[in-house]
Amino acid sequence: MNPLGPQHVRELIRFVGLTRTRELNCSECRDAAGELAERRLAGLPLDEALERVEHHLQLCPECTEEFRALERILREAP
Amino acid sequence: MVISVHPGLIPPSAAESEIIHLAIPYARLNIPALPPPESSGPNDWPEALRAPDNGAAVALLRAHLATRLRVALSDRSDVAEAQIEDFAQESVLRVLSQLERFAGRSRFLTWASSVAVNVAFTELRRKRWQDVSLDALVEAGEQLANETLAQDPASGDEEDRTRLLESLREAIATRLTGRQRAAIVGELQGLPFDQIVSLLGTNRNAAYKLLHDARLALRRHLSDAGISAETIRTAFAP
Ligand SMILES: [Zn+2]
Repeated sequence: MNPLGPQHVRELIRFVGLTRTRELNCSECRDAAGELAERRLAGLPLDEALERVEHHLQLCPECTEEFRALERILREAP
Repeated sequence: MVISVHPGLIPPSAAESEIIHLAIPYARLNIPALPPPESSGPNDWPEALRAPDNGAAVALLRAHLATRLRVALSDRSDVAEAQIEDFAQESVLRVLSQLERFAGRSRFLTWASSVAVNVAFTELRRKRWQDVSLDALVEAGEQLANETLAQDPASGDEEDRTRLLESLREAIATRLTGRQRAAIVGELQGLPFDQIVSLLGTNRNAAYKLLHDARLALRRHLSDAGISAETIRTAFAP
């Protein structure tokens, strides 16, 4: 494990800045990821529920990794 | 204006209007054409998968998910074809056990793909588990409040930054438990979340809550210290 440095402190501050009282967890995010990916790809507006999914993605590298993979699937194997 | 939509695109579900709505901009966006209905599958996937004679639907779903996982994992040299078949098989079982979670707000195969991607990436992340103990995380958590923040080269650059770092250091030291500090260190180190869960000896929901409570506590402390949300967002923004 490498020691923590200034870049980790920046990341922590970013996380703290994004924190809301009510947030989605990973499985709630996953439930709506397909809808978000389809609507983003189609350039359609997002409602508040999908905005909360985007908020979770900003905080969660693992859901982001999976969401990017899903977007790739929709683009390349629709 | 009449827009012809391929019949295979529209499962006759409760969310039909939503799906038709989505289909129109797809045509405008000039993305590759959708496969014909006989290859994309039944009009009502959940019904076909729940039916007693679901063999054909299950086999078709497995083939679709394998194709899609090949796309999602195509730039990973560490994934063999046999593994993709295993992931697809595992994904089908997961989809079948979670059918009630499909709310019909996306196409079924999109939702099933999100399940498959989660199955595959969760397994692949296990390979990235680092050789680290809870004690090491706890120790790094203690350092977070002391050396790590004290060493930040931005300290003293600017009044806002200095106050923010000082309050954050104080908040980490006084508002968090050792486990919360350890979990934060794990997250910042990029440990797979399942590994953090395992090190803490808990479950995903409890670990997520522990981290969320920690971020909330830090945020409240900063707020009590008079540091605005704007300052938190912008003090170190690139
Ligand atoms: Zn997540």
